[in-house]
Amino acid sequence: MPTQPAKPVATPAEKPAAPILIQMGIFAAILFVSSLISGLFPPELPVPTPVVGLVILYILLATHALKLYQVEKLGDFLISLIAFLFVPSGIQVAANLDILRTQGLQIFVVMLLATIILLVCVAYTTKLMIWLRQHVFHGDITVDADVDGEGS
Amino acid sequence: MMALTATPQMASWGRWLGDALGTNATGTNAGNALFGIFLSLVVFLIGQWLFKISKGFFLFQPLFVGMVLGILVLAILAHLFGTDTATFYRSAYLPGGNIIFWFLNPATIAFAIPLYRRNDVVKRFWPEILLSLIIGTSIALVLIYYVARAVGMDNTGIASMLPQAATTAIAMPISAAIGGNPAITAMVCILNSVVIYALGDWLIKLFRISQDPIGAGLGLGTAGHTVGSAKALQLGSIQGSMAAIAVVVISVVVDVVVPIFAMLVGLK
Repeated sequence: MPTQPAKPVATPAEKPAAPILIQMGIFAAILFVSSLISGLFPPELPVPTPVVGLVILYILLATHALKLYQVEKLGDFLISLIAFLFVPSGIQVAANLDILRTQGLQIFVVMLLATIILLVCVAYTTKLMIWLRQHVFHGDITVDADVDGEGS
Repeated sequence: MMALTATPQMASWGRWLGDALGTNATGTNAGNALFGIFLSLVVFLIGQWLFKISKGFFLFQPLFVGMVLGILVLAILAHLFGTDTATFYRSAYLPGGNIIFWFLNPATIAFAIPLYRRNDVVKRFWPEILLSLIIGTSIALVLIYYVARAVGMDNTGIASMLPQAATTAIAMPISAAIGGNPAITAMVCILNSVVIYALGDWLIKLFRISQDPIGAGLGLGTAGHTVGSAKALQLGSIQGSMAAIAVVVISVVVDVVVPIFAMLVGLK
């Protein structure tokens, strides 16, 4: 093989983005494989297709089988649309208005508190874990707040 | 599907509108995907506009406004057509809504990208991340159980509330398995996301977790699922990455922990 120029360490934006149809093809292929894998899980342990797909894409990126420039543009675009993509799910509540009419207040109160409980419990447990790392195991807890580089 | 023109209350203009919505007498839905897509776009854009002119009032979050306005429009149209909202939703809105809904699949996968961008944090903190998610969710389950008990929910109601940390696709079958009502669970999972998207920043400040990007990200991902991850990304790259990993890990945690917990407290 001819000698190639040395790879830059963390410059994801250097290469021009792959054509959008190629990026769509990559996403479609991952989705297809994920749906096959998702079907292998028993009904008692459901793991939905998109979660499997997230793991697959992460593994492909982490093993450098895929590069950021091959998925970044479509991925960031889809993420920017998330709130809109969720509108049909929100409107889905219209199908269950009868449940809300009978026990809506109860459900709403528990849902609201549960959302806050989940957020606070996980965040505070993390705080404790990081405190343990710092004070008991004397580990380094400094993180670069906004290095938008490629994780090595 | 229900053929809406079959209802006698419907006027001729209603038949015209019904044809436009694709809910014609043949009962087929050919073409009516347009209505669902159009309505979703319009209500969301109105939400964005309201959010902008109110300078970011939290109740005018585009997602929340879109959801409420959308349901309102469907309820009014259903009334005009002389049918109930649920039926009208299924025949007129759902075909278009499903097309938009499908794109949540690739959008969820896309969160691998912000996750990978902060692989440095993942690699260094993975023990803390895993332990926090497992322990934090378990503590939350106990609290949710007692809150549900305290407001007087029956066993079906409680079982419907427990799996809500997972995304809908996981929470619904788990809910059914432990004796809950999957429809309630799905609704609660959706409302979680709406609440986090509207109140996420405020809650983070209120509980003083904004100085802690890893904790904030994991919390938002757990409580708000994929939409929570989008919110977390707005706060910073670490938060977004942590929320993405939370969505994945919580899926497995809920799969395993919730059925065991339900058994322990004797729900089923």
